[in-house]
Amino acid sequence: MAFAERSQAGSALRALGRQVPLISGFFCAFLSNIPISLTGGALPPPLLALVPIYFWCLVRPDLMTPATTFAIGIVEDVLSGGAPGLWTLSFVLTYAAVARSRDSFAGLSGLGAVLGFSVAALVACTCAYAITALSFWRLPLPGPIVSELAMTVLFYVPTAMAIGAIHHRLVGPLRSDV
Amino acid sequence: MANGTWKIARGRGNAQLPLVIVVALAVVLVLVGKAQSGLFDRARVHVTDWMYPMLERVRGPVQSFDRWMNSIGEVFSVYEQNLKLREENARLRQWHNAEIVLEGRVKHYEALLHAVPDPQLDAVLARVIGRSSRPFLQTMILDAGNADNAKPGQAVIDASGMIGRIYLSGQRTSWVILLTDLNSRIPVTIAPGNVQAILAGDNSPMPMLDQLAHTATLKAGDQVVSSGDGGLLPPGLPIGTVVADGKGGWRVALLADAGQAQDVEILKFAREPEQLPAAGQLPVEAAGLKAEAPPAANAPASGVAAKPGTANALTPKPPATKTPVTTAQAAPKPVAAASKPAAPAAADDSETDQ
Repeated sequence: MAFAERSQAGSALRALGRQVPLISGFFCAFLSNIPISLTGGALPPPLLALVPIYFWCLVRPDLMTPATTFAIGIVEDVLSGGAPGLWTLSFVLTYAAVARSRDSFAGLSGLGAVLGFSVAALVACTCAYAITALSFWRLPLPGPIVSELAMTVLFYVPTAMAIGAIHHRLVGPLRSDV
Repeated sequence: MANGTWKIARGRGNAQLPLVIVVALAVVLVLVGKAQSGLFDRARVHVTDWMYPMLERVRGPVQSFDRWMNSIGEVFSVYEQNLKLREENARLRQWHNAEIVLEGRVKHYEALLHAVPDPQLDAVLARVIGRSSRPFLQTMILDAGNADNAKPGQAVIDASGMIGRIYLSGQRTSWVILLTDLNSRIPVTIAPGNVQAILAGDNSPMPMLDQLAHTATLKAGDQVVSSGDGGLLPPGLPIGTVVADGKGGWRVALLADAGQAQDVEILKFAREPEQLPAAGQLPVEAAGLKAEAPPAANAPASGVAAKPGTANALTPKPPATKTPVTTAQAAPKPVAAASKPAAPAAADDSETDQ
């Protein structure tokens, strides 16, 4: 009886643990879209939602699926106030690019890891820029998207550390499930 | 992240098929979003309304931090700034005196000409509780919403000039699209010369002037105000001054600094839709001429009952009661025959009034 209860609790915990990447993505999207700017709007907020997508796409792609990326992208679109689908498509295309070269990206460490993420962020920002340019049928100024890219890369290290800690505490113990 | 690299887990199953479907779904979402730009608006407004208490609480410390950050640079130039402000203050006092004299003169001329006075605009004071400066969207969030009659399309100004307009309003909060935003396009008038143009934002601090007539001649320093075309924005709102962009085009240096604005006004402006003129105001009647009666033989053929004193659907009816005049549109009309029945005598009255 006790074994069955423990088993039930374990499976519930595993089910919850499987949602951690999705919840983390939502939380990061929410965090980066809080409409508070300490720079008076001079600097754009970083794309924090891209960090969990990149991280779990490399580490646990079974948990960060294309559908999960799609859902995080929708939340980013809703909260950021931009054109619908802009970040959803950008995130999904970035996911596709990272998943295709997964082994190369995951082998990076130290500064290389930051550079790897920079490439992913560059893909996302380039996609967003191209979609906006096609949507408005004119080239927007590149300055704001370059600032966004710079801010995203700047905030990558602390965010990745936090995501890594969450992974080791909550998702890592479920590794036997893979 | 053992040995500096992450341990990779191999996913189960083929993830390529879902990826293709998800990419297709995302493309569809972009296309649908292009057709219906307000797809996520309701959800966004609900989130902002939900965050309203938190934003209100955080607003004070953030504002203090902003001031502190700005003051760091200003500490070193306080003396020069003080001298500049004294000089500017003296000049503004002179202008203020001149403005009082000119205002009196304009009122006198308007009275002489029976000019229709500018509508008195009602306004709501709102505070900026949030800013969102994304690469393709520059907005601010105000603490006034539907509960305060803040509605999409209304102009938002501060003491210096126009900042933007509301494009989304929730129960307690509103989103303002700034003039610098990529999506912002408003009709403007450039004085002197009364040149009409479209002020188009491109996410740069100085939006550009678009749709200028080829014959229009501008020069740096010309004043840009809202034209009021389309009836969405009130005419004459100060926006900025013209500057050359160095590539043969023109841009506008905005008077208001959206990044520093804390308290703003939402102008309640809605031009009433034009109504059909009363029969007595029709040109033929007003000129004292009787309109020719249609041939009686045509009446039965057209199927319209041609009884005297009745009007068909195409004939404008004189208003049964006087249209209520709101304070915002309390404009005494020079023509007094607006609510009088169509008669030559009424037309005579209107002529004597004029």
